[in-house]
Amino acid sequence: MNEFVEQFLIECRELIEQATDDLLTLEGRPDDAERLDGAFRAFHTLKGAAGIVDFDAMGRALHAAEEVLSSLRAGAEPVTPELISDCLTCLDQVVQWLDAMQADGEIPAGADAAAEAVIQRFRRAGPAAVATPRAPAAWRDALIARHPEAAAAIVLRYAPGPDAFLRGQDPLALLAGVPDLRVLEIEDGPAWPPLEALDPFACRLVFLALAGCSAEQARAALGAAPGEVEILALGAAAPEAASGLSATARAVIEAQLLLLENAEAEGLAGRMGSAGGAVANILRWAGRPAAAAGVERALAQSQAAGGPQSLSVAVGRVLAGEAIEDAAPAGPQPAERTPAEAAARTLRVDVERIDALVNLTGELLVAKNALGHAVSQAQGRLDTAALAALLKDQHAVLHRLVDDLQRSVLSIRVLQMRQVFQRFPRLVREMVVTLGKPAHLVTEGDETEADKTIVESLFEPLLHVLRNALDHGVESPAARAAAGKPPAATITLRARRLNDNVIVEVEDDGAGVDLARVRAVAAQRGVASPEALAAMSDPEVVDLVFAAGFSTATQVTSLSGRGVGMDAVRAAAERLGGRVTMESRAGAGATVRFILPFAVLMSRILTVEAGGQLFGIPLEAVLETVRVARGDIKPVGASRAFVLRHRTVPVIDLGQTLGARPDPAATDEANIVVVSAGGHLGGLEVDRLGARLDVMLKPMEGLLSGLAGIAGTTLLGDGRVLLVLDLQELLG
Amino acid sequence: MAEASSKRVLVVDDASLVRLYYRDALERAGYQVDEALNGLEALEKLHAAPADLLIVDVNMPQMDGFTFLKVLRRQALPVAAIPALVISTEAGAQDREAARQAGGNFYLVKPVSQETLVEYAAMFCGAAP
Repeated sequence: MNEFVEQFLIECRELIEQATDDLLTLEGRPDDAERLDGAFRAFHTLKGAAGIVDFDAMGRALHAAEEVLSSLRAGAEPVTPELISDCLTCLDQVVQWLDAMQADGEIPAGADAAAEAVIQRFRRAGPAAVATPRAPAAWRDALIARHPEAAAAIVLRYAPGPDAFLRGQDPLALLAGVPDLRVLEIEDGPAWPPLEALDPFACRLVFLALAGCSAEQARAALGAAPGEVEILALGAAAPEAASGLSATARAVIEAQLLLLENAEAEGLAGRMGSAGGAVANILRWAGRPAAAAGVERALAQSQAAGGPQSLSVAVGRVLAGEAIEDAAPAGPQPAERTPAEAAARTLRVDVERIDALVNLTGELLVAKNALGHAVSQAQGRLDTAALAALLKDQHAVLHRLVDDLQRSVLSIRVLQMRQVFQRFPRLVREMVVTLGKPAHLVTEGDETEADKTIVESLFEPLLHVLRNALDHGVESPAARAAAGKPPAATITLRARRLNDNVIVEVEDDGAGVDLARVRAVAAQRGVASPEALAAMSDPEVVDLVFAAGFSTATQVTSLSGRGVGMDAVRAAAERLGGRVTMESRAGAGATVRFILPFAVLMSRILTVEAGGQLFGIPLEAVLETVRVARGDIKPVGASRAFVLRHRTVPVIDLGQTLGARPDPAATDEANIVVVSAGGHLGGLEVDRLGARLDVMLKPMEGLLSGLAGIAGTTLLGDGRVLLVLDLQELLG
Repeated sequence: MAEASSKRVLVVDDASLVRLYYRDALERAGYQVDEALNGLEALEKLHAAPADLLIVDVNMPQMDGFTFLKVLRRQALPVAAIPALVISTEAGAQDREAARQAGGNFYLVKPVSQETLVEYAAMFCGAAP
C-alpha cells in the first residue's frame, strides 16, 4: 500500500468520525450552525482527499452530499432528518470503500455504481438537486464558431443552479477568476415558467466562456463551485499574449497588481516585496532576466518611497508587453546598489513643502532683480549713503528669504519618529520572551518630526536603552508583585518637539537605578576614584552609567550583534549634536532622555587656525578656550597634558596631528581649546582662534568619505573650503 | 536561473494528507520542503529559517491562513516579503478578496494537482520551467 493511501485511510476515518458526530448532533439541534459548518468542512475535506488518491467515484458521492450541506448552510432549505440520514448513508458507503481499500490497497471495483446510488438519493432530496452531467454538445462548436478570433485553449459552460444566489455565490466573480478569460456569453437557462410561478431570486442563467488558460487552471479557478461546470480543452495551446507570457503567468502577475492596490500602510513593505519578488521570479522563470531586473529596480524604488507606484507602473508595463528596462533612470547605474542604500538616497516629500520651495524661488528671483536695480543705481553714481540704504534694504529681504529657504529645505528632510518607533514593538516582544519579564511597550508622539539623519540614527541607541531598561530596570514578576506593581512592566517610548530640540524618552516603571551597584561597578572598573565616588551626588552617580568603561566593552547584544554600552549611546547622541541624560526614581523606574537638535544640517562651529590651515570645531563640543604657558604643558608618557582646575587634560597639537606645517610664529603661551566628545576631555593646541559661524555641514563624499578625523566640510564666505573636525575620532 | 534544489518551500496546512501530497510533488521537483500545521507554527519556522515560497491553507486551528498572512506581512523584511500561494477549499469571490487583502499573492481552489502545484512553485521561485 503506498504512502498516500495509508495516510488517506487514516485521515478519512478521522473525518468520518467527526462528520458523523456533527450530523448526529445536528439531528437533535437543527439550528446548530457550528455543527453544520463542521459537517460541511469534513465532507469538503473528504472530497479533497478523494481527489488526491484519484478516487473519482468517492469524490462524486461526497460532492453530492456537500452540495446539500452547502444549501442547508445558506438557509435555502431546512435541516430535516431525511437529509441527515442521506448524508449518513453516504458516509456509510465511504466507510465500506475505505475498508475495501484497507484490505487490498486498491480503489474498489464497482464504486461507480455505488456512488451513483448515493447521488440518486440526494437527487430525490430536494431543490438543491445535484446536476446531471450532460454530454458535450453543440453549444461548444457554436460558441467557437461565433468567436473565431478568440483562439482559445478551452471552452467552458457553467450553470450555477437555481439556488446559487441564496447560497451567497457570485457566478460572475467566480468566472472573473478564470485566467485569460477571452469571451463570456450569458444564456437563459431551461424554459421559463409562467410569470406567476417565476422565482425572482432563482439563478436561471448559464454562462459560456472561452479562455486562454488550461482546463486545469479554469477548474482551479471555479473550484468547488456548486452547480454544473463543463470544461473542454481545445487541444492547441493558447498563443502567447502581447507580453510573451503564458496565460498562467499573466494571471499570476495580474494578481500581484491587484495586491498592490491595497494601500493599507500596515504590511505594505511586505506586500510590495512579495508582489515585486513574485513578478521578478515569474519573469526569470519565463526566461526574461532583464525584465526581472527592471521589476526589482522598481521594487527598490517603491520600498524606498514607501509607496507601490513605481512597482505598479513597472508591472503594468510587463503586462502590456512594453520594455521595462526603460523604467530605470538613464545613465550609468551602480550595479550592486542594495535597496537599503537606495532608501538612504530618496525621500518622500509632501507636495505642500515643494510648493513652499517653489514660492520661495519666485521671491528670490524678485530679490535678485532688485539687487540688479541697486547695481545700476551704483553705476549711475548714486551717493554712497543712498546706496547703503538701498543695499541694506535688499540685504534684509535676502536675509529673510534665505532663512525661509533654509527652513523649507530642512523641513523636506524631516521624517516622523514613527519610522523608527514602529520597529520596536516586535523587538520588545522578542526581548520579553528572551528575558522572561513580561512588559509592554507604549509609544507616544509617533508623529513628532525630526531630521531624517536623526530619526534614522536613533534606532541602535534606542534599542540599547530599551534592552537595558528591560534587562536592568524592570524587576522580576515576583519582585514587582511584592512592590505592589502590576506584573507586566510598562515601557514608554515618547517623542516630542521642544523649541529647536526633539526630546526622545524611554521611561520604565521598574526599580530605578541601583545606586549602590553603580558605585560598586564604577569603583571596580576604575571609572572613578573611591574619593570622587564618595563626593558624588545621586544624579552624578546615575550619570556614571554613560561613562566610557562602565559597561564591559565585550557585551554583545543578540539584537544588534555588536558590543554597545551606554557610553556608545551617549557617543551616538553627541554625534547627532545632542546629549543624553538619565533620571532615576528609586523603586519607581527610570527615564533616559535624548535631547537632540531638530535639524542636524546647521552646525555651529568655532574656526581655529593650526599649521597655517583653517579648521572648524563643532561649537557644542567646546567647553572653553584657555591660554596656557608652554612650560605648564608636561609630557605624560608618549603624549602631553596640562592641569586645568585640578583636572588633567591631555593636549593634542592640532597642526602636528593633522600633518600641517608647524607655526613659525609660536609664542610662549599656547592657545588651547578644551573640548569634550564621546566622554573624553581633551585640549586642542591651535595657533589662533577664529570666529564662530553657523554653517551647513556637508558630509565627506566619495574617496574622502573614509577620511578619519574629518566630520565634513563647509564653504566659507570667501570661497575657501573649511574642514570640520570629528572630535570623537581625534580624542578617541 | 535559479535551481529548484536551492529553493525552500514551507507548506502550511493542518491536513496531513495534503501536506504529504504537496511535499511529494515538490520534493520530486527538487525543492526542499518544510511543513507547519498552522500559521503560528509557520511564523516560528520562518523566523528560524526563511523560505522562498509559502503554500498556505485557510482553515487551520490556532492561527488561520488569513491571520497568518496579515501577521507575516507586518514582519521585518525579508520574511515579510516571502510570496504566498493560498490554496483553499473555499471558491467564493469574497474568500479570494480576503486572501488578497491579507497579502496572499495568488489563490487556488482545492483540489490542486501535483503538476499544477509544481508549475506555480517554479513560477514563484523563478526556477527553470
